[in-house]
Amino acid sequence: MFDLLPHLLNGLTLGLLFALIALGFMLIVGLMEQINLAHGSLFALGAYVAMQLTGPRPPLPADLAKAWLALPLGWRYAATLVIAPVIVSLVGMLIELCMRRTYGKDPLYGLLLTFGAAMVIEELIRLVWGTRDYVLQVPSAINGGFLFGDLIWSTYRFYAAGIAAGIIGLLWLLIEKTSFGATVKAGAHDSEIVRALGINLSRLRLLVFVFGTMLAAVAGIIVAPIWGIRPHMGVDAVIPAFLVIVLGGVGSFWGAVVAGLLVGLCVGLAGAYASEWSLLSMYILLVAVVTFRARGLWGKKSVLEA
Amino acid sequence: MIVGSNSSSDAARLVTPTMLVLWLVLATVPLWITRIGLYPYLGIEILIWSLYALAFNLVLGRAGLPSFGHGAYFGIGAYSFGLCQLDIVANLWICLAAAAVVAGLAGVLVAMFISHRRGIYYAFMTIAFGQIFWTLAIKSHRITGGEDGLLKIKRLPADFGLVSFDLTDNVAFYYFVLAVFAVGVAALWRLVHSPYGRVVAAIRQSEVRAAHLGYNVWLYKASVFALSAAVSGFAGGLFAMAQLAAFPDVMSLHQSGYVVMMTLVGGGLVSFWGPVIGVFLFLTARDVIGALTNAWMLYFGLLFIAIVLFRPEGIAGALSAAMQRHSLNALRRRGTSAMRLLVGGGR
Repeated sequence: MFDLLPHLLNGLTLGLLFALIALGFMLIVGLMEQINLAHGSLFALGAYVAMQLTGPRPPLPADLAKAWLALPLGWRYAATLVIAPVIVSLVGMLIELCMRRTYGKDPLYGLLLTFGAAMVIEELIRLVWGTRDYVLQVPSAINGGFLFGDLIWSTYRFYAAGIAAGIIGLLWLLIEKTSFGATVKAGAHDSEIVRALGINLSRLRLLVFVFGTMLAAVAGIIVAPIWGIRPHMGVDAVIPAFLVIVLGGVGSFWGAVVAGLLVGLCVGLAGAYASEWSLLSMYILLVAVVTFRARGLWGKKSVLEA
Repeated sequence: MIVGSNSSSDAARLVTPTMLVLWLVLATVPLWITRIGLYPYLGIEILIWSLYALAFNLVLGRAGLPSFGHGAYFGIGAYSFGLCQLDIVANLWICLAAAAVVAGLAGVLVAMFISHRRGIYYAFMTIAFGQIFWTLAIKSHRITGGEDGLLKIKRLPADFGLVSFDLTDNVAFYYFVLAVFAVGVAALWRLVHSPYGRVVAAIRQSEVRAAHLGYNVWLYKASVFALSAAVSGFAGGLFAMAQLAAFPDVMSLHQSGYVVMMTLVGGGLVSFWGPVIGVFLFLTARDVIGALTNAWMLYFGLLFIAIVLFRPEGIAGALSAAMQRHSLNALRRRGTSAMRLLVGGGR
């Protein structure tokens, strides 16, 4: 039993990361009933922008760059965690402005539009940064490892899992406990009435999309030191994100979180015993659940299944 | 709405005038394709992918089922062809049949799991199965050769008993693929316009309505998926012959996405010929733009975005709209001259 514990813990931290990756995707699916396949590319873009900002050659005028590099890495990292998502959210804004034309049509069109956007962003990443791998520098406080019970644990994994749990909690508060969340949910439920109440729904949707983009970028920055930064990381992220949402069920917040944890445990345990097949395990988990449950674990009725 | 078949009588035909013209034009391709700087192999690729995209469009365009993991069946067909040739019997017809049957069986298996699901859940189940097959292809080194692919596949001679054609040359193989393509197109055309095809189209409009009319929706959804998988696998077998190998990357999510893009860009949702137009555009653009710049996917992605935003019915839809407008204008002109005659006569 004690042999299993590290794998379980590893799986849980991985699960929190999967949930974090899925959050932005979930926000847009749940509140706007749109599938954002560009989520993965925005995730990758977040990591690239952060790498550029914390790296030795920030894209700033010479004087500013000097001042910026004089700051300790910890400060730069913390600032980047805020700045990079804001920069990436501009791209998200552009996508939403295009996506507007597809609202009210078959959700397939939104999905295809974002698939095209994902292709374009990935190609642009290749153009700007090339195909080589990059490393995101992190402050030494969260780097390295520590000993616990005869085993070496990676500090960063726990930091990342902690951040993921924190963001999940904050997002839940935002959606469930604020008037902003209530308005947005009402907008997804009955857009006509919400408009009649004098609320600018298109601005609200733009805001939701931008917020989802920022979550994608933050997830990219947090996950980058574990997965590495390369052009393909977007595809590696969007598939698990999509999977977590479908497994948890569209429109269910805790469904997505539980699904993320399940996927993490599944991949973690499979990785311990048959590492070749670890990624296969999450697809088998999905097939096993969706074969018997029409809307994943706790999904609600939505236009996405028409 | 269907480009090239404006008269409804075409639907009842086995071979339509459009098909005849298309086949004749395609038959002349090897005569001039090298003169414009391209090569016969591109023609082979376009024909094979067209067959694949037409088969895919049975599911996406005809039945309205979002299948995003279709590359799996194309790839399974390619591997089956290769394995049949290397391990069982090196006969062209048996190997091609094996490609279609094995891919069809995989389609049946998947269809049993997914046919009672709809929308996003259906879509992701197809992705999940696509990824499962893809992972199996990559990881089963001993059977499929892993990421290196299954090599040493030969172009078997087309043996008709009395005569036998050698297909190793690209031009000879092109004509063989063209003949197969012609038969495949005629068969798919019949299928789409048969009573069976009409029911499938009705299910696309409304599953609930079709079910209330007494059709077994599950069975139709499952069978059209399996049929599409079988034809895709058949095309995959041809592709293995063309490439002289079978590789796992046609099964990846990216490649499955490309066939969706080709089908939609061409206008598969409104036209039978949409997928063919899309494949032609995609592969030609890949070679022509790809020769100029490495980032050709960037430009194709932008074009794709523009089409989704402004012409969601694709190129075939734009063409038929233009044609309709043209004929409407012609009608209007004729109408005014007739009016003038009438008015003139009255005076």
